This record gives sequence, structure tokens and C-alpha cells, in this order.
Amino acid sequence: MQAKSCDIFCSVVDNYGDIGVCWRLARQLANEHGLQVRLWVDDLRSFGKLCPELDVELDIQICRGVEIRHWVSVLPAVEPAALVIGAFACDIPKPYVEAMALRQPKSVWLNLEYLSAEDWVEGCHQLPSPHPTLPLSKYFFFPGFTAKTGGLLLEHDLLVRREAFQSDASAQAEYWHSLGVPQRVDGELRVSLFGYENEAMEALLTAWEHGSHLVTCLLPEGRALPQVATFFGASTASAGDEWQRGNLRVFVLPFVEQEQYDLLLWACDVNFVRGEDSCVRAQWAAKPFIWQIYPQHDGVHLEKLEALRRLYTAGLPEETAQTVQKMWLSWNGGQGVATVWRDFAAQRMVLAKHGAGWAQRLSQNSLALNLLDFLRRTE
Amino acid sequence: MKIAQDLRAGNVINVGGEPMVILKAEYSRSGRNGSVVKMKMKNLLTDSAKETVYAADDKFEQIILDKKECTYSYFADPMFVFMDTEYNQYEVEKENVGDVVNYLTDGMEDICEVVFYDGKAISVELPNTIVREVEYTEPAVRGDTSGKVMKPAKLVGSGFELPVAAFIEIGDKIEIDTRTNEFKKRAN
Repeated sequence: MQAKSCDIFCSVVDNYGDIGVCWRLARQLANEHGLQVRLWVDDLRSFGKLCPELDVELDIQICRGVEIRHWVSVLPAVEPAALVIGAFACDIPKPYVEAMALRQPKSVWLNLEYLSAEDWVEGCHQLPSPHPTLPLSKYFFFPGFTAKTGGLLLEHDLLVRREAFQSDASAQAEYWHSLGVPQRVDGELRVSLFGYENEAMEALLTAWEHGSHLVTCLLPEGRALPQVATFFGASTASAGDEWQRGNLRVFVLPFVEQEQYDLLLWACDVNFVRGEDSCVRAQWAAKPFIWQIYPQHDGVHLEKLEALRRLYTAGLPEETAQTVQKMWLSWNGGQGVATVWRDFAAQRMVLAKHGAGWAQRLSQNSLALNLLDFLRRTE
Repeated sequence: MKIAQDLRAGNVINVGGEPMVILKAEYSRSGRNGSVVKMKMKNLLTDSAKETVYAADDKFEQIILDKKECTYSYFADPMFVFMDTEYNQYEVEKENVGDVVNYLTDGMEDICEVVFYDGKAISVELPNTIVREVEYTEPAVRGDTSGKVMKPAKLVGSGFELPVAAFIEIGDKIEIDTRTNEFKKRAN
């Protein structure tokens, strides 16, 4: 039987969130569920950071079981796929949409929305969006954290691999060695720091510098790097740099592929993450995490931050839940990060135990499986 | 053309060649400054209703229907009855009133517009801004005049609840945006 076809359209707006999610989804649908996937991307250079083997000069190529197409302004005439996913409300070219309406059977067209833990998402998930002029409906598909949403992207064996890694001291030692980072010493805290520019950065680094225990900060190249470099008086910075001030030492890592980033999250004690994709991966890592949400107008992102915080900390002791709330808020434009950090670090064992159960609960709702189930019901 | 974000209960739009009356529209902020509008709409040809969702900037052809200025008279289950200046009465089904029901109260003086399709009153539209009195809300928070901290408040008459600024008190009159059901400010 011929594999079902799937086209995913991804317009890279900024950073690596859009393409990160689309690339992960494309590989899952192709490699775990046997779909014939074409991923249309308008910015191959950004994509190349996540997929080093990509040839950014080629308009068509196969990478890891997925056909990668450079999405140029005039799309070549192609037969629309059975399943068409427009990521994050991107505008799929009109001729392609018209061809979807003519296809027999019609394509099942999904708009994969942004991730949010807010209540309203459940009420909008899977609702149709009939086209104003064509006999065709698009459906809104909302990822989320509850059973009434589309769930989260999760590779079928991820949690098993994570548990194996986290219970294997030699695998972790080998991982640190591969990064050129010294092995752990007693009382040391390892922290990954992936974020946007942040007003609270200097205060946090200072708190680590003057803390009672050694903090080793693993910093992937990216938007947070210049601020950290400035803290250490460095005018330039790149992967391989190491700095130390007091009880804080920083190792600058190259921007890594998704699988390598998972290892970093699994190996660290606390993870600072940003945006959508790394936030989800931090939850699969089952370690305490601090989320820097993508900032929006009018502070609306703070409602989204609080919505996830409420879900994530449900069932935790009140003191711990409040500490998480204060830490997340202080890292998203709030105040007092240095004080809150001490409280947060003190709660990390409670949070690590909670994180394992939380990840297990979330894993019951797979986005890829939900997509395929929706396809079967809608075709 | 009208974008989804500007559509409101009572508007009629062309979807796939069929006239659809909006019964309810809820606006939500999605990611990266995008927004979605969840809409309940009814097909005026078949009377079938369905829930839909659109990106806030999706465009629609609005069908301009006959409208008549009226005031609200009374509710005779399941019909809301409106009256024009010549004392003609028009009945609008409860299901078709949508969010407007949140603001319909006996004795209200707001001028509404009853919308007609094929000679039949099919919906009603309110002014974009109306003033209503707060029947109940928790005591005002002293010192906060920013309007950013919100609390629920129940309106006189309809009993509808909406978030209002923390400084609002029982008996205050407030301005409400009927398109979004959002508190705007304390009315003078």
C-alpha cells in the first residue's frame, strides 16, 4: 500500500522555534509513522543550523527520511498531499490551496497552532475553519498539555532513552567529556542556559558568582551569549570559550542539533529554556526548568506563562508552587531573581521528582498520534 | 471585506457562497502576536449552526442586510421582542441573539439594530460601546488605579459577569466594548 503523503509548510519568522517544531514533526511522521513527508521551508539557512547535513543551495533534497523543499515565492506545480499542515498560521500559496479543493479526495488541511496552556485552547482545538470562497475546510490543531488538546511532540522512545541516560553515570561522564567540560565535583550545580536577551541576566549571574556552591553554566550560542560575555568583560564570544568568576563558571557550547540539545537538558540539574520547542523538551527532561516565554504585546505572554505554571505546579506543595511562580516571573521581566533563585535551587529535588511524574502524564497525549487519528476520522 | 477580528454577533458573511449569521464571536490571543476568533455561526438557508475558528486577520465578504433601529421591549421565551419608532414589533430567536443577551435588560434605552434577511428578523446588533451598572463585585483594591489588575463583576439586569479593573465598586457604571465583551473604563 502506498504511504500517505503529507506536506508541511513552515515559514521561518525568527529564531528557530518554527522550524524546530516542523522538523521534529516531519521526522516523526516520516520515520515513526511511515508517511511520505515533504517539508516546505522558506529559510534553509536557519534550518541548516538544526540540520547540518542540509545543503542550503538545493531546492529539493532528502534528509533523514524527509523530502526538504525550498519554499520559494512561486511554488512549482505539485499534487497536494493527503495531509497538509500549515505551521503557525503561515499562508499557504493560493494555487496550492485551490488544488487542495480540487483533489479527490480533498486534502485534510490543518493549521498547527502555537502551544498554549490556556483554557480557551481546548474549546478551539480541531474546530473547522471553512474557506470563505472554496469548498474546503481548514482545521485548527492546538498542541497542549491536557487531554482535550492535540498533545505534545514526543518521539516514541524518548522517555526510555532519557531514563537510560539519566541512570547511567558513565554515559553522562562520557557526554561531559565530549563537550570538553570537566566532570562534576561534590555540591556542584549544572545549569543549561538557553534564552533571549534578559534584563535579569546580570543579577542571576551575580547570584551564581557569589553563591555557596559551584555553578557550572552551559550556554549554547545564541541571543543570550552577548550579555553573558559582557558580564565576564569579553568583547566577543564563541563556542569553546570558558569563563569563571567566583563560584560561577561558564562553558560556551555550539548551537547544537535537537538530539544533542536533549542530552544537555537530561544531563543538567536545572534548565533555562525559551520559546516553545525547548520548553517542551525541558519537560521531557524531567528536571526543574525556568521558562522564558516569547514576549508579546500588552504582556499577554505573562498570562500564557502563568497558565502553564498553574498546570505544571498542580499537586506540588504550595511553597514550591509559589517558588516556581516567582522564579518564572522574575525571569520574565520581574524582580528579585537573585533571592528567588536561592529558593528555587533549594526546591530542586522536589521539582525533579515532580518533573518525572509530570513528563509521564504528558506522554499519554502524543501530537503525532493525534494528528494521524484526526486524519483517519476526517478523510 | 471584513476581517474575522471585526466580526460580531449579528453580522452576516459569505462562507463558500452561503449566508452565515454570526451568533457568537470570541477573540483569543495566540502565539507570537497572532490571534484567533472562535465563532458560532448559522446558515441562513439551512438553519444549521456550527462552531468554527479563524485567524483574526482572515477576510470575509460581509453581506449587507436590511437593518432597522429599534429598542428592546421584552422577552417572550424563546423570542426577544424589539420595537421600532413606529411601534412595529420584531421577534428575534434567543439562539440568534448571541452575546447580545449579556446586555439585554428591561427598560434599556440603547438603540439596537435588528437585522433582516429575506424579510425575517434574524439577529440584533448593539452599539460598540454601552454603559451598564455593576450589581456585584468584590471590594475595590485601594491604591491600584492602573486598570491592569482585574476582578470579576456582575452586571445589573442580565447578571452577566466580566472582568473589570480592580478599582471598580458596586453601583459603578462602566463602559463595555460589546464586540469583545471587555471592560473599557468607568463611565462618567
